[in-house]
Amino acid sequence: MKAILQIALGIIAAIGGFVDIGDLVFNAQAGAEFGYELMWAVPIGVVGIGLYAEMCGRVAAVTGRPVFDVIRMRLGLVSGLVVLVASLIVNLLTVAAEIGGVALILQLFFDAPFTLFALLGALGLVGIIWFTPFEGIERLFGYGGLALFVFVAAALQAGPDWHAVASGLVPQAKSSTLYWYFVVGLIAAALMPYEVYFYSSGAVEERWGPKDLRVNRLNAVIGYGIGGLLSLGIMVAAAQIFEPAGISPDHLGTVPLLAQVPFAETGLILALLGMLFAIGGAAVDASFAGAYSIAQFAGWEWGKYRRAAGAPRFVLCWLLFFALGLAVLMTGIDPLDLTEYSVVLSVVALPLTYLPVLLIARDRTFMGEHSNGPVTRVLGWVYFAVLVIVALVAIPLLLATNAGGG
Amino acid sequence: MMDERFDLVYRLLDDQIVDVDGRRCGRVDDVELLGGPGGPLEIGGLLTGRGAYADRMPKRLRGLARRLFGADVRGATVRRVPWAEVENLGARVQLRGRAADLGLAHDDLELKAPFKKLPGG
Repeated sequence: MKAILQIALGIIAAIGGFVDIGDLVFNAQAGAEFGYELMWAVPIGVVGIGLYAEMCGRVAAVTGRPVFDVIRMRLGLVSGLVVLVASLIVNLLTVAAEIGGVALILQLFFDAPFTLFALLGALGLVGIIWFTPFEGIERLFGYGGLALFVFVAAALQAGPDWHAVASGLVPQAKSSTLYWYFVVGLIAAALMPYEVYFYSSGAVEERWGPKDLRVNRLNAVIGYGIGGLLSLGIMVAAAQIFEPAGISPDHLGTVPLLAQVPFAETGLILALLGMLFAIGGAAVDASFAGAYSIAQFAGWEWGKYRRAAGAPRFVLCWLLFFALGLAVLMTGIDPLDLTEYSVVLSVVALPLTYLPVLLIARDRTFMGEHSNGPVTRVLGWVYFAVLVIVALVAIPLLLATNAGGG
Repeated sequence: MMDERFDLVYRLLDDQIVDVDGRRCGRVDDVELLGGPGGPLEIGGLLTGRGAYADRMPKRLRGLARRLFGADVRGATVRRVPWAEVENLGARVQLRGRAADLGLAHDDLELKAPFKKLPGG
């Protein structure tokens, strides 16, 4: 019974930890701009992240190797270094965007300058990381993020047009570049790679072994599946509330209106709290993902299970990510622009980190009986093709649509 | 311990080195091979540390890499682990001894002090 409870708690944390500023922005804007039409892109992203995370978690549980350990092994020093640098740049942009998101939400609660809240937000997160053990961090932000279910409730409350929902889940080809930009953005937002760097390193932090493979599979299917439901909830609510009114959520503070319209003040507060936890948690995950990547690539000791003095270079790395993220924000760049760049650029680098994981997950030398089964093998290559296509079209679409600005 | 044959690049190069206490202490950044042409070749030891990066880069990038990661200075930017110190090549490159005794924990030991003074550090 205790084991079941443990599993359930882990999955719940995974649900809450799925959504970040990228998902909030892209899903709300997609619903506002195109109604239900883009819903189909969400499951494509969600199945992708579930597949990728399941492989990463399985490799970590069986071989004890998280993602950048595998990348260094399979790609070697030179190509590995190229992938590392690309991921670190994307990671930094993500950390900056998430800290910016936290600051924007705090600004809705209290009246003070953005830079002050960015600084306070970053310091607060550093303090939480410093004093909380790994599992505690995961759960604090994961559970807090569950308040985002208010968006699903909002979507249902308004009585969605189920016929439109059904047709929105079927992919359609359109000639609008903005439409395709959003398709890429939605897939990319669901597939943010820092999530799997964090997830697979977390599996090592929590000392997973082959016995944890069931939890890993449940996390991938149920955790990410329900996480995807949250994304769809935001999009459907936006399709009902923003699209008819012609509102475009150009500010993060517009998104919680989706919950305020049906549920008044309670809805607003739940939405803001959910967003604060989800985005704050993502800032933590992304800065850790960067530190994990560097430490694993270089072979340094890493992990939250060590005291700071036991893995000092790792600690310096995540502290540095917060500091550099703040520095990026201080340039005055708009956090929402930063979010779009970080999401789109992350998908460009994605095939580079996905391929080594796919190669080792199917390799019997390392994985033995736990190597990819027939379904994962086929799906793994299908997704590699999807990711390469999305990566190739991402930057041209970003430029053609002026980052979704039309 | 391991099969009689193993692929040096596939199984050894770039792998994680772990000491007897389970402490991660670098990667196999290069492998020292002993022996001349015509004679048997054997592994002298593993080389680990950022100073080994430059020589593995494409020729044109070596100068830049030396400036970024440092040149190969034995005992400082590159540490040598004698092959006899390697216990096995299972999930990791497992050493028989402790990182500190092999000179592999140098950087962490240097950085450790300020963190020890902090609460929760």
